[in-house]
Amino acid sequence: MIRTLDQLVESVKTRNRKFRIAVTLAQDINTLGAVYRAVEEGFVEAILIGEPDKIRRVCDQLSIDYSRFQIVGLAEQAEAAERAVAMVRSGEADILMKGLIGTDYFLRAVMDKEKGLMKPGAVMSYVCAIQVPDYDKLLFITDTAVIPFPDLGQKVAMANYAIDMAVRFGIKKPKLALVGASEKLSKHFPSSADYPLMCKMVESGEISDCIIDGPLDIFLACDREAVKIKGIDTPVAGEADILLFPSLESCNPFYKGLMQFGRGELAGMLTGTTHPVVLMSRSESENSKFYCIALSCLMA
Amino acid sequence: MELKKLSDLRKLIEGKPIKKLVLAAAHDIQSLGAVLRASSEKIIEPILIGNKDLIDKIAAESDYDLKGISIIDEKDNIKAINLAVQMVSRGEADVLMKGNVGTSDLLKSVLNKEWGLRRGNLLSHFALFEVDNYHKLIALTDVAMNIAPDLTDKIAIVNNSVKCLNNLGIKEPKIAVLGAVEMVNESMQATMDAALLSKMNQRGQIKNCIIDGPLAFDNAVSLESARHKGIKSEVAGETDLLLMPDIEVGNVLYKSMVFFAKSKVASIILGAAAPIILTSRSDSEQAKFDSILLSAAASQ
Repeated sequence: MIRTLDQLVESVKTRNRKFRIAVTLAQDINTLGAVYRAVEEGFVEAILIGEPDKIRRVCDQLSIDYSRFQIVGLAEQAEAAERAVAMVRSGEADILMKGLIGTDYFLRAVMDKEKGLMKPGAVMSYVCAIQVPDYDKLLFITDTAVIPFPDLGQKVAMANYAIDMAVRFGIKKPKLALVGASEKLSKHFPSSADYPLMCKMVESGEISDCIIDGPLDIFLACDREAVKIKGIDTPVAGEADILLFPSLESCNPFYKGLMQFGRGELAGMLTGTTHPVVLMSRSESENSKFYCIALSCLMA
Repeated sequence: MELKKLSDLRKLIEGKPIKKLVLAAAHDIQSLGAVLRASSEKIIEPILIGNKDLIDKIAAESDYDLKGISIIDEKDNIKAINLAVQMVSRGEADVLMKGNVGTSDLLKSVLNKEWGLRRGNLLSHFALFEVDNYHKLIALTDVAMNIAPDLTDKIAIVNNSVKCLNNLGIKEPKIAVLGAVEMVNESMQATMDAALLSKMNQRGQIKNCIIDGPLAFDNAVSLESARHKGIKSEVAGETDLLLMPDIEVGNVLYKSMVFFAKSKVASIILGAAAPIILTSRSDSEQAKFDSILLSAAASQ
């Protein structure tokens, strides 16, 4: 079982494979730094799509060897995105990555019904594996980035993506906590009303095999002591592997709080696609950016 | 003066007359311990109302010294609460604290029309955090009282908090209105409220503070993150107060700050005739003590 993000990197390395990543508009110092580190560590081959002059300039700035990359010269955003997606579809690349391109251009190419990378009928979402010093394993959380207020169908999809990822990390039967403000159901919190249904949907198989409970607050989900003190009978037992949040509004500050104040690092990925797609915020740390690439290789 | 630690609040009360705190239903081991410690450190002067036999018993068992402490023997909890509230209402005490009674019973008395503590303002919860990785104290509101505040409620919550922060010597507190994103987004009401609050502040409709929003968590607390995103804001990286979209978000964030970031926290209820301390059983004795210190500093 992979318990840390460095173990994630090690696990990817032991597969003795070079994953080919198509980077869309690669002339970005943050993106290239992380990509180059993965190339140096030996598990990635990068295809950089963008303006060769600009890419070369960024390479010089970072003192990295330009000749280590395959370059595809394209300047225009939509065109670059379409080309990168096409390379992944045709098998020339295994993974798609966003560089210095507007997120809307990038996602438009990913979501294109005929030429894109979405699984048919799939929900697009986002899962992050978070590492914090005060938790003895990784914590998978969803959705940090895409769906503002997920409905039941979207929550089921989010749960399945997160379970799938946790299983890839070697967690056989992940513990999934459905997060709320309290363990009690209340008319004041309509978002929690889906949770009992979701618990049943594990039995019926609509949600993949896992140990599920909710609503649970953060203490009851993650703190064994709190479960004991409160005397709540919950199979998640303060040992959650996965936290599913009722909204982007609650998940986003949660993970950012852990990054800013909890000394956290993360690896995150878009979900619902046929191939891994690396899409990360400029403000993530250097390490987190590198871990995002490693995660996409694990999931490839 | 910049407050870095909760213990810095002591400086605000040094040399000032000691405020009186009335503990309603004082036969409660944890709150009694915190109150007596605050009394011995000259932070407040306590008045204990409750079952005197039980108070004496707790004191004997826990080795608490009751010498010189005013105790009013009232075995009926509801009568004890009502008496405590009336004392505050008449100005005979400066702070109200909940002992061994339910929150709803206490609030019922606080909201009593004849002798309660409402003065036409919305009551709101104010939590002041000491976080290792932040350069000053940071407050969250409202994480526990108002479930889904609308714009009018949010204005009242901000005004309550500004008054409190001004009392703590922060003349023009910087307020970040929290969102999942920093753009106004029609599908997230919190981001629209944030824009309105910012503009109302600019126009002088909300005074004695600087409001900006929507700001995502990272941009509110880190200037570097804000720079990465190209956000220009007087508040970014200097936030004194984070305004929550609703209680669900606030609850998650509050609990993750306590559990994952190991932060210390002091909490009070604002908007009544005097500060009210409503800590719960799961709060540590230190948190109760810090809340008392905050209430004393805030009522200066």
